[in-house]
Amino acid sequence: MNKEKLDAVYEQGLTKIANTKDINELQEVRKDLTGKKSELSEILKSMGSLTPDERKEVGLKATEIRRVFEEKLAEKEQALINSKSVLDEPLDLTLPGMKITEGSLHPVTQMCYDLNDAFLSLGFEVYEEDDISSEKFAFDNLNFAADHPARQMMDTYWIEGTENKSANERLCLRPHLTGASVRYLMKHGAPARFVYPGRVYRNEDVDSGHERAFFQYEALIVDKNISFSSGMVMIKTILEKVFGREIKVRMREGFFPFVEPGYEIDMECLVCGGKGCKVCKHNGWLEIMPGGVIHPNVLKSAGLDPEEWTGFYINIGLERLVMMRYGVDDIRHFHSADIRFLKQFK
Amino acid sequence: MRVSLNWIKKYIDLPKEIDAKQIAYDLTLRTVEVEAVENTEDKFHDIVVGKILEVKAHPNADKLRICMTDIGEDKPVQIVCGGSNLYVGEYVVVSKPGAEVYWHGEGEPVKIEESKVRGELSYGMICGATEVFLEKLFPPKDMYEIVDLKGIDCKPGDSVAKVTGLGDTILEIDNKSLTNRPDLWGHYGIARELSAIYHVPLKELPKVTIDKNLPKYDIEIKEPTKCRRYVGVEIENVCDKPSPMWMQTLITNCGMRPISAIVDITNYVMLAVGQPTHAFDRTHVSGHKIIVRNARKDEELLLLDDNTISLTEDDLVICDEHDAMCLAGIRGGKKDSILPETTGILLEVANFSASTIRKSGKRFDEKTDSSIRYEKNIDTERVDEGLNLALTLIKEIFPESKIIAYGDEYPVKTERAKIDVSEEFLNVRLGKVLPRKTIEDVLTTLGYDVIYKDEIYHVTAPVWRSTGDVSIKDDVMGDIARLLDYQSFEPQPLTISFEHAVRQNKVLLERRLKEYLAYRCGFNEIYTYPWIDIKYINAAKIDTTNAVRLATPPAPELANLRSSLIPGMLEAIAKNLRYNESFRLFEMTQVFEKGEYHESTEDETLPIHKKYLIGSIVGKNPKEIFYEIKGVIENIAKYTHMEKLSLTQKEKPSWADINGYLNITLNDEIIGSLGLVSLATMNESKIKHTNVAIFELNVDKLNPLPSRTNKFIHLPQVPLVTQDLSILVDDNITWDEISMYIKKKVYELEFVEEYRGNQVPEGKKSITLRVKLGDGLNTLTSEEITEKMNSIIKTLTNQCHATIREE
Repeated sequence: MNKEKLDAVYEQGLTKIANTKDINELQEVRKDLTGKKSELSEILKSMGSLTPDERKEVGLKATEIRRVFEEKLAEKEQALINSKSVLDEPLDLTLPGMKITEGSLHPVTQMCYDLNDAFLSLGFEVYEEDDISSEKFAFDNLNFAADHPARQMMDTYWIEGTENKSANERLCLRPHLTGASVRYLMKHGAPARFVYPGRVYRNEDVDSGHERAFFQYEALIVDKNISFSSGMVMIKTILEKVFGREIKVRMREGFFPFVEPGYEIDMECLVCGGKGCKVCKHNGWLEIMPGGVIHPNVLKSAGLDPEEWTGFYINIGLERLVMMRYGVDDIRHFHSADIRFLKQFK
Repeated sequence: MRVSLNWIKKYIDLPKEIDAKQIAYDLTLRTVEVEAVENTEDKFHDIVVGKILEVKAHPNADKLRICMTDIGEDKPVQIVCGGSNLYVGEYVVVSKPGAEVYWHGEGEPVKIEESKVRGELSYGMICGATEVFLEKLFPPKDMYEIVDLKGIDCKPGDSVAKVTGLGDTILEIDNKSLTNRPDLWGHYGIARELSAIYHVPLKELPKVTIDKNLPKYDIEIKEPTKCRRYVGVEIENVCDKPSPMWMQTLITNCGMRPISAIVDITNYVMLAVGQPTHAFDRTHVSGHKIIVRNARKDEELLLLDDNTISLTEDDLVICDEHDAMCLAGIRGGKKDSILPETTGILLEVANFSASTIRKSGKRFDEKTDSSIRYEKNIDTERVDEGLNLALTLIKEIFPESKIIAYGDEYPVKTERAKIDVSEEFLNVRLGKVLPRKTIEDVLTTLGYDVIYKDEIYHVTAPVWRSTGDVSIKDDVMGDIARLLDYQSFEPQPLTISFEHAVRQNKVLLERRLKEYLAYRCGFNEIYTYPWIDIKYINAAKIDTTNAVRLATPPAPELANLRSSLIPGMLEAIAKNLRYNESFRLFEMTQVFEKGEYHESTEDETLPIHKKYLIGSIVGKNPKEIFYEIKGVIENIAKYTHMEKLSLTQKEKPSWADINGYLNITLNDEIIGSLGLVSLATMNESKIKHTNVAIFELNVDKLNPLPSRTNKFIHLPQVPLVTQDLSILVDDNITWDEISMYIKKKVYELEFVEEYRGNQVPEGKKSITLRVKLGDGLNTLTSEEITEKMNSIIKTLTNQCHATIREE
């Protein structure tokens, strides 16, 4: 009879454990099944009326049941803990996360810093010229012909009160960065390797492809005994940094007063991969930067002997590079100060 | 410039395997940029010669005819046509179905289809000149006239492009890439480059010998530096007739309009060798004499349209014995025109200096095909090329013509540039040792004379490159490199020297400042123009006395260059308020003011430049944004590793609120300010329903520290005791005072909050502060804690008249 009762206790106990829903209930169940007042304890207590053999048998069985109960209770407890969340209410996993600080550097600044990093690793310095320069530094020093059209009132922003003077005394918002190269060389001499990013100004009509104020990035290396083909390394440095991979480039004949020889540097069209498309006017190449060997007359203006020194320039339009990189189709965004544009660039 | 390959083929035999695309590519890499290649035949597809066999009336229309036309197919086709000059046996231009034509020469091209016109079938159309790009060759009298191919060698079915000679390949060359190359402004120059690129011989131009016994034409050059040579040839027995079809088509394909044989010859010579020429009716030149002189003061030139232009003493004019006939090298006057009754001409082939032409051209805002070429500085020997070609063509087109007088005034001759280039120079600068033969070949094919002796190339540049283009050894090196293709030179690696690391603390600081604001404080970086709308300068109450101004500003109200970044920031805020309620902006750039500053040399005086940094926070609650911007400046030095800044109230900035501002100081010098923008400034800037806090500081004054400035402090070995305390004080007691009294009594003092309102009497405020007690080494007993707290409370009560708030 006791044996049957034990079987029943065993079965009911296991069911109870299995049906338990939470930790508190489990404590109750534990008390019910293994506590002093549990049925199992009652049975063990009433064993006195049994024969020694029966006692032994019931005792062993009851002890075994108790062991199983404790094991199952421990398992159940673990299972209940594992299935419990720290949340006490439902959680919508699709709601957006908390906002982080949403500031941004201007995309042109970002591009400029990326290029600085690359050039600093090649031992270049960063130099900065002031925005207002003189005709002497913007044109005369750079071998521009005396009647070059860029010297006209129509093309350059001259400073009021100086517009009818000349050379040192005629001041302007600099129309390009190249004048800065002579300033640096006058100050630091040669050999030199430096980059000089900055904003330049042209008096022209503004549309989606033209701006009155825009950023250039120029690099110059001056040394003894270097060949024009060293410039290739600078070009590749820029493009690999910007596009993250090797880019096919070509150098072709180009004319600028401050270089001899001068080049136009083209890169393969990234839109069509060089096959020819609308963007590259069907020739597979995009014009991205001029460059060339520093003209002896420019070295002379900087007080350097062209018999001893030579060098290589490259100059790149930062907005244009950003536009190509991200497909921005209107240059006017860059000076718009419009947060809707600016915050797209992380 | 448009370059015709048919024309080029007159001077060189192009290698068979080279197509137009390849030519464009090779020229682009080595010589000039070819922007496009145009096949002129493409647009003539399905446009053929037709012969009219029969002209019938149209049953349903009075003005239309039905033409049975042979177009070279199996049988004649029926075409309906409204042309006014139809006749049997006429050779006409037929656009077959599929051809694209311009309806009356206007709008978008229309594709021809087989159709019914007023009920009658029409297989394509018989075209007028404007419909099929032929108006330059066959100028129509009116819109009803169709093209009559009379006199042209053709048969039905022939391609119209072929029989007119208009089938050609045109290279569109970017004129900008030709600015330094006066030799390339004609087909012969381009052919010379191609002959050097492809190693094919360049054919010689025709030569004419002029009878030395001819009477001399009288020419007087008064300004030999401006007119370096003038040849005048008087020719009789010419007339007004059209030039031959081959000449017309070449000129047409190069973008000029055929006019008459005489005028076409002068244009043809210019397009062929780049030498402008000019023809006067010889009877218009009174006194039988040409004088080249500066214009007189108040002299006028009568133009073809009977208008006059007023000349200056700097303008060079070509005159007869009485008055100016034309503005040298730029444009002709009424007196120099060729008329239908002209039978004799004076042919001018002259050389004018580039600067003369450029200055006069600018003065009269005039650019002509001739002046563009003179502006590039043509050599004086080119006159011979132009003259010989012109005389050859005149003889060919007017066989009965006769030279009756000749004059050649030649005061200044272009000397060929002589340059010595050492072998060593070439080896180093090219980065490659080239065989002597390669160098000599390249230079010779370009027209140089080369003598090699003792490791030096003594070169004489061709005369057509000797007007400035080639003058130093670098130019010679450049010519060798480009002709061999820059790509054939291996990139030379840049060596890095490790003498010293590049360390530019100021450059680094600027970057840290920008990154601190953008990435730590949530500001968006903006760029604004340096020319500032006067409206915002006035709104910010900024004095413009010392402003640097532009002579030709983009707009009258934008003449002032910025002396502060505030006005530009106000404008940017006003713009962004349209789309955003609260945001943060910053900008770092230069500002300007009148003054004297020498960056590079003593004789160059520039205005004062300063680099400023500005930041703004836009939001509804002024107190909140004030403390936000204050926090940005309080922490800026710590995070950007520069010398610490202080904040005190000393001088109110013009744009700031009367109470809410602080000056930013460094070693007691004011280097910037922060504050709330005043109501007046916001109103005038159209910044509404919000508040703005701004800081602006002079970046040049900041002192970057040579390295990071972090400090290590040992961690407390035993816990500190933290206690909060709320006190009531008078409104005028500042946190600075409270902190001054108790800072030295505690390990750390922290501000928790300030509160006014419920349970706080008027004129008072409640301040909650948090102190940390202990020294980190010894544990405090509860008696010690109570003692310390009592001492703090006592000090606050005595010094700040504080009362402790009961919790």
